[in-house]
Amino acid sequence: MSEKKTFKTAQLMKEMMKKYYEDGAAAKERGIPVAWVTAVSPVEILYAAGVFPYYPENFGAVAAARKVADKLSVHAESKGYAHDLCGYARCGIGDAYADEHPIGEIVKPEVLFCCNTQCGSLPKWFEVASRFYNAPYFLLDAPLIGNEPEELCTSYYKEQLYEMISLLEKITGNPFDYDRLAEVLHLSNEACRLWNEVLDTAALKPAPFGFFDACFHMAPIVTMRGTQEAVTYYQALKEEVDERIKEGIHAIPNERFKIYFDHIPLWPKLRWFSDLFAAHDSLVAVSQYTHSWSYSFDLNRPIDSLAEQYTEEFVNRYFDYRLQLKMNFFKKYNVDGFVLFSNRSCKPNAFGLYDKRSILSEKTGLPGVVFEADMSDLRFFSESQVLAKLEPFFEQLGSS
Amino acid sequence: MNTEVLEIFRQAVEDPGKEVREWKEKKGGKVVGFLLTDVPEELIHAAGFFPFGICGGTVRMDQVEAHLQFWSCSYVRNSLALALDGKLDFLDGLVIPHTCDTTRMLMGIWKHVRPLPFMDSFRLPRQVGRPSAKQYVVGELRRIKDRLDDFRGTEITDEELSQSFKLYNSNRNLLRKLFNLHEQNPASISNKDLYTVVKASMVIEREKLNMLLSELVSVLAENAGTPNDKTKIFISGTFLEPLDLLNYIDESGGAIVGDDLKNGFRYIESDVAEAGDPLEALAERQLKRIPSASYDIPENLRRHFLVKTAQQKGVQGVILLHVKYCEPENYDYYDNIQALEKAGIPALRIETEFGDTSLGQLSTRVQAFMEMVGGE
Repeated sequence: MSEKKTFKTAQLMKEMMKKYYEDGAAAKERGIPVAWVTAVSPVEILYAAGVFPYYPENFGAVAAARKVADKLSVHAESKGYAHDLCGYARCGIGDAYADEHPIGEIVKPEVLFCCNTQCGSLPKWFEVASRFYNAPYFLLDAPLIGNEPEELCTSYYKEQLYEMISLLEKITGNPFDYDRLAEVLHLSNEACRLWNEVLDTAALKPAPFGFFDACFHMAPIVTMRGTQEAVTYYQALKEEVDERIKEGIHAIPNERFKIYFDHIPLWPKLRWFSDLFAAHDSLVAVSQYTHSWSYSFDLNRPIDSLAEQYTEEFVNRYFDYRLQLKMNFFKKYNVDGFVLFSNRSCKPNAFGLYDKRSILSEKTGLPGVVFEADMSDLRFFSESQVLAKLEPFFEQLGSS
Repeated sequence: MNTEVLEIFRQAVEDPGKEVREWKEKKGGKVVGFLLTDVPEELIHAAGFFPFGICGGTVRMDQVEAHLQFWSCSYVRNSLALALDGKLDFLDGLVIPHTCDTTRMLMGIWKHVRPLPFMDSFRLPRQVGRPSAKQYVVGELRRIKDRLDDFRGTEITDEELSQSFKLYNSNRNLLRKLFNLHEQNPASISNKDLYTVVKASMVIEREKLNMLLSELVSVLAENAGTPNDKTKIFISGTFLEPLDLLNYIDESGGAIVGDDLKNGFRYIESDVAEAGDPLEALAERQLKRIPSASYDIPENLRRHFLVKTAQQKGVQGVILLHVKYCEPENYDYYDNIQALEKAGIPALRIETEFGDTSLGQLSTRVQAFMEMVGGE
């Protein structure tokens, strides 16, 4: 495999994330409350309220990427949390009980905010954590919606945003600052816009940037959207990607095919997958996953806009909507095939994939495959089984 | 004693489609199935449809493999397998309550593989402690009612709702009497028969059910006999399945005096208020049900409820039933068992699966547990 030229911004990312974790660890001393929050949550409200938002999912992903997910998990499993539960949750719960912390200790929450659009595992994990750390837990509850947004669900969510704000006012002792919220939303819009511009370059053929690059560069859009740092970061990344386009530096050496990938990557096998696809001249160009952070808030109606955009996320949609979304991505990125990851850790994204695969192939004529594994736990990964699914797929690509 | 009427319940459980097929043939009405049991059945009934509880059954599982991963819960797999195998071919509709990620995702798959004229979800709230929740549930119930109105072609009237509320409350009241009789005098009806009746109540026409239950309750009350001592057991979990598990508790001299199961006492514990706004009343009931893994209730936390109930009823042991791959239940397990341990209440966790008939190992474990908690 030819060695890939690393992004200059990778160094900036390391520094930023290091500072983010240091800030989290130091928050308590500085009198800043640490709030646990989930990846697809209106974190803009937390930034506006001046609390420190901490993402335990990111902790799980880092543990997975560093291949210690199973080591942390066993501490949860010994308490009776089964190994088929979400890998991130097992890492988080495991770390709470562990004596050793191979990736540093998870930051303890003073309050926990969870939005359940992503799944039902996060709220259950946060409930467990709320009992363990003896901190209040607040759920932003979002009923699943179909193709059309529903007033019932939007207004329910909006009502809860006000309930959330009241709780934050109590915790911080300050009235909520709506002017500050407008600033944060503006920064969030900027970061999302830049992030999506970067993602879109994967549609060029050959492309300077693909899904596995996006997995590497996504941490700031998840954890820091709403801050100037995130905007600065994605400006730098965008510039670098533009330079690469000019200089003809491509994401993989010999791009012949573009692939759609669903959904979260296998963190501990990121490199293995990236090399495997590259070896077959295939660029994984797009996944709904990295497009989760594509907000564009209306600053004139901030709360309504937050309620609409967070409940209308694809993770909160029924089967048919998600099918259509995938097909839209197929078209926009002009993909030649699709790979669907049946992720044991992520039931809401995995259930339905078997039928989606056949429907998608039928509707688009594209080759597609489903494979089984886990996003974080290598005990559920079998190289030979994955290859047994992917090799015939690559053959199909080549012959089409 | 009382075997005749009990036999009807047993047969209904043996062949869950029997009663509903007969009803459909006779009345020509529509059947709306539901997954257990956080569903506003009263609305379905008020529309004149037969609300049919999908309770699991013996069925070939090979067809479901192409649609649902083996690591999804066996209740959902079993239900879809029944549909794929034509064993639910009497259904005109389906309502799925969103109690977990699996039930949230099931509708799309079901719609694709076995579409029905009426399909909807009851999108339960996952927080029930704040004012926003009730308002939302009322709105969600109104949405479902509107859809049922459309499906029927005419609006469900308040009078029809009131009739259904009365009938369901009466059903539940009789079932509670049965639980009470069993608790007072466990010899009057075995654990297995008691839960057989609850299961049967989801597949028998509600009007007929009322007569059958009245008869059963009066026969049992007459022959109550003298109370005898049994080991008091509480069962906690999502579903009681398989029913045969209860044979071991019966044989070991145990009496179940409470549960938080979707197909147990939790199903019939509370009524719908017959006065006031009907949808508010339905919402109120849903929000105040016995706590389950689907959501924690701030003023009635599940682990506290377990300990409190066990103590009030003098329970000697708690059996935690864990349907394999049931995520919400699994997340609750450790804190529940810690709370029980702290209160000095012995507990046993067992893993079960729908459609699983090999109970060999479970029998040994249940019997050993019963011996341990029953011995002085």
